Amino acid sequence: MKLYEYALRRMFLLIFVLFAISLIVFYMARGALPPEYSLAPYITPKMTDAQKLQLAQSLRVATASCPSYQAFSSHDPQCVAPLWGQYVIWLGLIAQGNWGYSQLPGLAGTARTWDVFTGRFPFTAQLAIGGSIVTFLIAFPMGIISATRNNKLPDHASRIAALVGYSLPIYWFGYMLQIVFVLYLAVGGKGLFQGSGALATECVICFSSPGSINTFTGMPILDSVLSGNLPYFWDSLLSTVLPIIALSLATLSSLTRIVRSSMMEALRQDYVLLARSKGLRERVVVYRHALRNAMLPAITVSGVIFSTLLGGVVLTETVFAYPGIGQAIVSASLVVDINFLELYVLVIASILVITNLCVDMIYAVLDPRIRY
Amino acid sequence: MTETEEVPVKALTGRRAELKHAYTLYKQNPVVVAGSIIAVGSIVLALLSNVIVNPNIWQVEQLGQRLCWNNPTFSWPVTNVFDCPGATYPLGTDSWGRNVLQMIILALPLDMEISLTIVVSATLIGVALGSFAAYVGGKVDEAILRVTDIFFALPALVLAIVVMTILGRTIMNLTIAVLIPWWPIYVRLIRSQVLSEKERPYVEALRSTGASPVRILFLHILPNTIYPVIVQMTLDIGNVILTFSALMFLGFSPNPLLPELGNLVTEGISYVFTAPWLIVFPGLTILIVVLGFNLLGDGVRDVLDPRLRR
Repeated sequence: MKLYEYALRRMFLLIFVLFAISLIVFYMARGALPPEYSLAPYITPKMTDAQKLQLAQSLRVATASCPSYQAFSSHDPQCVAPLWGQYVIWLGLIAQGNWGYSQLPGLAGTARTWDVFTGRFPFTAQLAIGGSIVTFLIAFPMGIISATRNNKLPDHASRIAALVGYSLPIYWFGYMLQIVFVLYLAVGGKGLFQGSGALATECVICFSSPGSINTFTGMPILDSVLSGNLPYFWDSLLSTVLPIIALSLATLSSLTRIVRSSMMEALRQDYVLLARSKGLRERVVVYRHALRNAMLPAITVSGVIFSTLLGGVVLTETVFAYPGIGQAIVSASLVVDINFLELYVLVIASILVITNLCVDMIYAVLDPRIRY
Repeated sequence: MTETEEVPVKALTGRRAELKHAYTLYKQNPVVVAGSIIAVGSIVLALLSNVIVNPNIWQVEQLGQRLCWNNPTFSWPVTNVFDCPGATYPLGTDSWGRNVLQMIILALPLDMEISLTIVVSATLIGVALGSFAAYVGGKVDEAILRVTDIFFALPALVLAIVVMTILGRTIMNLTIAVLIPWWPIYVRLIRSQVLSEKERPYVEALRSTGASPVRILFLHILPNTIYPVIVQMTLDIGNVILTFSALMFLGFSPNPLLPELGNLVTEGISYVFTAPWLIVFPGLTILIVVLGFNLLGDGVRDVLDPRLRR
């Protein structure tokens, strides 16, 4: 089977997974919760009861024989409609991009769910991409150093650091970072970094009024570069440093351990002995020969690492009050905004399945032994 | 000339030799010994917690002692630290006036119990499904793999949040919510092990003697494939504690007063810069307990390495 046929098969798998997840979440949510929750995202504040009942019937949330809105909201049995009809209508609505109105606190019925989501998503993307870059950038050198200086001080230090980093609760570490950098490393009452928020204006080394930027991508760091506003770029970078450190420490640690063990495995192979006996420099042996083979397990695991990062983003945004979708999903689940939940789940699932597909493609390209 | 007699020495064979060898390896690794001491110590402390600390104190507010710190060995660079009346509180008091050290000790049994429940259930479900899928093969294997694909498409925390939103906030629902993303890991783990073990000659030999598939699977294949599962279980005790304390921290606990390590951190959120001990010490406890189990898991992996077997 050729590579593109394999990719096609995986894309069908993506569609299957998305359908399955949307069906499961839909049935669980609307089956377990009262029908008012199913209607709530589509109600605007000024609707009368008759309009609400009509809306419920057009969405198949209430049966056509339902007498009044009061009967519907008091769960009269003749108003209860089957879920499969609701699911079909809901699919039609989201195909047109209509996810209803957001139920988040402060926004109930005024802002569209899709707009709230797309407004917040770039911030989360910024954190996740930054976290991945930091993870890969630090884990590979640390793992290689650990493997090449095996059982010496750098190895022991990095192993202990990796174990501790792997066992940290992310939210606790986020607060510890805030305490250290805002409370302890403080000058004149202001901490070194900003504790929370997406823009740093209350710290020692930041600008208090950095101006404004044009929105191109929604990510402040990129947009400030594209708008040419350097103080804004610096401030948004400063406010992202602590969250990214908190977010990536756990994944960084586990990737370091994997790189270390796979490098040690690669350095034990016969071809390394041959390379050394040929007289090649140690650096060439390690980077040109051993690392290429050691990278493969690390690439395999990068899908899981990205999944862990996306899960950790929820905690990091809550701790640092970062305005991304992670923070929004926590308030959405406390308010039970079903549509926001479903949108979030589907987007995260698509991102992860596509990422895993890309990882497998890269692995197939890098390893000539794999042929699909 | 005296002849020396040879005294016959009974050598240890089989599993006893393996276990003795494993114990020797274990003793030689100080890091693993430390980890096992921490892990066993936290389990013992959890079992004894109701004896050490009065279990009813977490429901009672002691308003006279709110947010105070009077441990003389360490002082925080914050203003307005109240001095506690009466005895010295080693780790300060929280916003309800309760002793933080006693809260942490009370929180340990709940955490350990939930974690062990989840890990054991996930292992049982995962091993049953995974070994069944691997042994039977074909369409059943394919179907179970697709189901695990669905669960792997979401991060564990996200899936747990979705389930908690729908089910509501009780301890039982929290257990189910963390169990749901956890069992597919064991399915994949045991499936790959059983797949490779299935091709061994001894399995073919057993089949030709007429042994039933259930007998082959449970009496012969599973005992040989169980070592990675044991390693994963030990590591997962720590990871599960991290996940459900994160869920509690996010606000999914049934009672804000409940003594649970993530819940204790939530109490401290409003006081990060005014009473930092509320966050530092419960989180430090989670770190130490999870570190202990991770060290233990690493040690178990090193000691139960397959090259020790035969």
